[in-house]
Amino acid sequence: MRLPSRRRRATRPTGPTGRMAPGAVVPPETAPVGDIETILDQDTTSDRPWLVIVWNDPINLMSFVTFVLQKLFGYSKEKATALMLDIHHKGRAVVSSGTRERAELDVYRLHEHGLWATMEQSG
Amino acid sequence: MSSPIKRRRDGRYVVRLDANARVVLANLAAQLPEALATRDPMVRRLFPPAYTADDQTAAERDYRELVDTALVNHHTRSLETLVATAEAESLSEEEFAAWLDAVGSLRLVLGTRIDVHEDMEAPDPQDPMAAEYGLFVFLGELQYLMVEILAEDLPDEGRPEGAL
Repeated sequence: MRLPSRRRRATRPTGPTGRMAPGAVVPPETAPVGDIETILDQDTTSDRPWLVIVWNDPINLMSFVTFVLQKLFGYSKEKATALMLDIHHKGRAVVSSGTRERAELDVYRLHEHGLWATMEQSG
Repeated sequence: MSSPIKRRRDGRYVVRLDANARVVLANLAAQLPEALATRDPMVRRLFPPAYTADDQTAAERDYRELVDTALVNHHTRSLETLVATAEAESLSEEEFAAWLDAVGSLRLVLGTRIDVHEDMEAPDPQDPMAAEYGLFVFLGELQYLMVEILAEDLPDEGRPEGAL
């Protein structure tokens, strides 16, 4: 199962940024301009993992939720059952965590199975 | 009582359902693809949000753009497989997985429509919702039995790598 590839956000500036001092020896159009995503990746906030959360819903069967968690994440029956009971009794549970891309893929796989899953950055 | 659903030795699945139940299933499943294609509000439960924080509306928009077509195609394929194999004597593993997905989609749509909630009691037979509730219960029993069979093939101890 694969998520369609994410389009790169077209946020890269087309020309050199910043003003140059008169007479500065910088070749035009070649000033290094960081890709915005590279810059974001270096931001400390992006170090915090993203949490994938499954919410309680009144429709999905408990055994189905346990089954999906075992199937998608390879969890033991014991762990998947404990997560399912957390979801059922506490209203939500964190079922996986990781990079934003990883979390988004997990959310998508859960959505494919009809589970009510969202993601948020820990913090 | 033994389950009406079996996994045969050749790996194919047999679902013991009477002819009427098969017609009901196929008719229900045949109605959803158009609702999915047109994004009818009745199927909204099949598209949960990924990002809900106030400052994540752009991320949610990107997520929707990225996955909605894939979700529609995924569920539509499953529903079409269920319609095409509703009368089949046995099902391949892929077809059985499609049935599970299609039955799940139908439950979510019906359950949303009749506003199912925990510890809900069966509506009075005179209630206009009673028929849909009956279908919802039937689909739940079917899903339960399908999951029971599929769960037998998952290792209790889990898999270290997970699965994609």
